[in-house]
Formats: sequence, structure tokens, C-alpha cells
Amino acid sequence: MWIAGAGMTRFGRRDENLQDLIAEAALAAMHDAGIERPDALVVAAMNPEEFTGEGNYGSLIATRLGLSYVPALRVETATSSGVAAVYAAFAAIAAGFHRSVLVVGGEKMTHLATPRVSEIIGRSIDPHEKSYGTTMPALAGLITRAVMHRRGLSLREISQVAVKNHAHGVRNPFAHFQEAVTLEAVMESRLVADPLRLFHCCPISDGGAAILLTTDRRAVRVAGIGQGADTIAVRYRTDLTSFRATQAAAEAAYRMAGFGAARVEVAEIHDAFAPFELISLEDTGLVPAGKAGRATLDGETAIGGRLPVNTSGGLKARGHPLAATGISQIVELFWQLTGRADGRQVEARVALAQSIGGLATNNWVTLLEARR
Amino acid sequence: MAEQLRASRCPRCRRLVVPPASICPDHPVRMVAALLPPLGEVVSFTTLHSPPEGFRAPLHLALVELQGGARLFCHGSATEGVKIGSHVSVEAVDSVFYFSHMGFTDRARLFWRRAGAGGERVAAIGKSVVKGMWNRRPRGED
Repeated sequence: MWIAGAGMTRFGRRDENLQDLIAEAALAAMHDAGIERPDALVVAAMNPEEFTGEGNYGSLIATRLGLSYVPALRVETATSSGVAAVYAAFAAIAAGFHRSVLVVGGEKMTHLATPRVSEIIGRSIDPHEKSYGTTMPALAGLITRAVMHRRGLSLREISQVAVKNHAHGVRNPFAHFQEAVTLEAVMESRLVADPLRLFHCCPISDGGAAILLTTDRRAVRVAGIGQGADTIAVRYRTDLTSFRATQAAAEAAYRMAGFGAARVEVAEIHDAFAPFELISLEDTGLVPAGKAGRATLDGETAIGGRLPVNTSGGLKARGHPLAATGISQIVELFWQLTGRADGRQVEARVALAQSIGGLATNNWVTLLEARR
Repeated sequence: MAEQLRASRCPRCRRLVVPPASICPDHPVRMVAALLPPLGEVVSFTTLHSPPEGFRAPLHLALVELQGGARLFCHGSATEGVKIGSHVSVEAVDSVFYFSHMGFTDRARLFWRRAGAGGERVAAIGKSVVKGMWNRRPRGED
């Protein structure tokens, strides 16, 4: 399975509607691939019904793209919907149904007030826990306190994730935030869900991203893709300091690829909240247990370090238009592996993307490998 | 002492959940009703400064693990002095759980009340010290 082409919109506050953002990304990917008519289309959108009032999104986008007679699906797994769509396309090609599938995802959020956006995102939380006023930042706050207490992570280590990812975002013209932040600014930003602060949290963004998968041999191979699951209720879990869903997804992806974390040279990690990058680096085995904080402070995960992580700026700086995010991670890694990450290019042949759905209820790990 | 909390138990894996659920999260089997003492330890807690509509800021939330391993979300009036591992009592008011942090005197009073009358009191206090019933229990075990 190969990636024939990739494309994405600039993330951030956009005036275009969701259909237009998705179309911009999809057309860019089709143009990049040199394929005008894929055999099928898989669309990811987490909640266009509530964000935009539009539904039947597979067909809506197919017609918008001039692909009305191409079979289309819509796929949803909360904030990891983008990679779920990649998985559906991968499975359809692997099963022999199609030879080329266009995968596109997007979300339009900034036109709504923040409390309304939080409420819509909060629908991915267990209803009983939501009835206590828990939001994604609240659950992330509980997890942050637990990892600080049980794993000895410091606020400085957590904050450095945001500093690093903003520094990377400066070098990415597609990023929502293209300006640097200081460690002091992060550590002194206002408390959102104690001990989590505003600059530890990703922004609300608009955007779209797309890739085209094909059976034809191209420059970059999807070497492995794995899904992992966990209880939707956080109270049903016995451990708050790691995500079982990431661990299971990583294991499945490595098994499919036939290689392990040691071969990965660049990664995109789901840093919706800064401590999640540290947890996820250890859950994927990219950094040994207990070492992610130190590795980040030492610059190991910065561009120029041993293992550059979130060269795009991550969710923190590139932005997080929900269903676009997982696909945009793969777009960034495709560009890295094909020498097209202008201004932030690293040396790498093997790449890993990790995506979190909801509060880590449905996570994905994808492995890409450049052809020799 | 606050009332026991309604829970359910999986007949296959013995997992306890609060509030009661019809099906075990790990097995597609019906759970059976159980009652749990309203005492536990704070697993983690946070204060939400911009809570969603219908809640007043600051909103104090805690995840509490009851003896036996069931965890539940609780509201609290404050998190001052609360730490991970703090012992709390949990009370259900109109089906909403609230935690209160138990200081030394609260704990002593609780033992006193639990122990009942006369000589039992001394025995109960002695037993609780010996057993270290307030010490951290192994996680994820029934």
C-alpha cells in the first residue's frame, strides 16, 4: 500500500466553509498524486452536523469534488476520525475492493463561540462523567496531575513540549500558530484545569487534509497501521498515566510492519494537551519509560535532535481541526520522507504517526517507510 | 456515617463499577447489584476554571477509588489540602457524588461512630491501626 499524493489547507481561523476546506485539501492530494478519479472516497468529519448543520458528508463531498458516482463513506472515531478514514481506505484496498482511495478529513470550528465548541467536543466523553461538568481539558487536567505525581514529570518538562512545538510551527507555513513562545509564558499562562494551563492546550482550528492511497508502487509505503481501544469511561480505567489504546495500536502497527520503534526517525504525536506528547512517546516505545520529559528538555525531540517529534508544530501549533488532524500528521510525514518539508526538513526514512480519539478511547499508530 | 453507595459487580471478573451498570465494561454479561462503603482515596483531582454551562467556577472535580477498586467522579467544595492518595468520604446527594476530605479528627470520629458502643470502640480502633485500613491498597484488584 502506497501513498500516491498528499495535500492540506493552512490550518487556523479560515473564512471558507467546511466543504471548501475539504475540497482544497482533496484536490491538492489528487493533483499531487496525478490521479483524477480514485476508485473510492473516504471522508472523515467528527461532527459536521453540529458544527455546520450539514450531514450525509460522504455524498456531499463526493459531489463537491466532481466525484458524484464514486462510492463514498464517512468515518468517525471522535478526534482520531482522520486516521480511522485512512484505516477504512487501507482495509478496502487490502481486501481487493479498490486500487486507489482518496481519504480526506476536515473540521470547521472557529465560527462558533468557544463554550459551544467545547460542548460539541465534549460529546465524546462518557455521558455520566460529562454530567459532572467534565470537559476534555478537565480530564486532561486529572491525567496531568496523575502523571506528575506517579511518574515524576515536572511542569517544566510538560511546558517544554509546547515551547518546542511552537518553535517548529514557526517553520511551517501551514501551521495555525507560526510564532514562538517562551517557557515562562507557557508556565505563567492562565490555569484551565489545574495543573493544566492554557498554553498546554491545542487551539480551536479550521482546516482540511487529504492523502491518496494506491496499490501502485510510489515513493512512500504505509508499512503498518494499528488501532487500539479503551473504555469510554475514564473511571473504568486502572491507570491514568499511560494510554492502553496507544500501546495496543503501536503493537499492532509494529507487528504489521515487521519492525519496531528503534527504526523510527521522525514522528507526529497527538499533543492535544502537552503532557499527552510525553505519555504517547513512552506508550509507542519511541522513548524508554520515564525518559520522555528529560529527552524533551535535552532537545532530543526537537528538529536537529535524535528523534524529531511534531516537526509540523503538532496539534499545539499546527492546530487541531479534529478530523483533519490525523490525516495532516501523515501529510507532514509524507513530505518529510519525500524531502518536501521546506524549512523544517529532517533526515528520515521511517516515520510514525499517533492519533488519539476522545480521551484516548480509540487510538491509532501508522508507520510510513520511504522507498530506498 | 454516610450511606453505602450503590454499585454493580461483574459475576465473571468481579469488577465493581459505580454508578451501577447493566453490562460489565469487560464482558457482555449482566452485572449484579452491590453496596460499597462510601470511603476511598483520591486518584487525581482538578479545578476547572471555565466549566461548561450549568456549572459555577471554580468547579472542583476528583476521581476517587473506593475500597474494592471501583472509581467514581465526585464534586467537592474545595481541593485545598487534598492530595493524590488523600482519604475521602463520598456522599450521594440527588444521585450526584460529593467527596469530602477527611482530616485526622474526621477519621477518628468516623471510627468512633463505626465502632458502636462500649468496649467495641477500643477494639475497632486497635484493629484499624493494626490492619492499616487507611493505607493504600493494591490497585486494580477486587
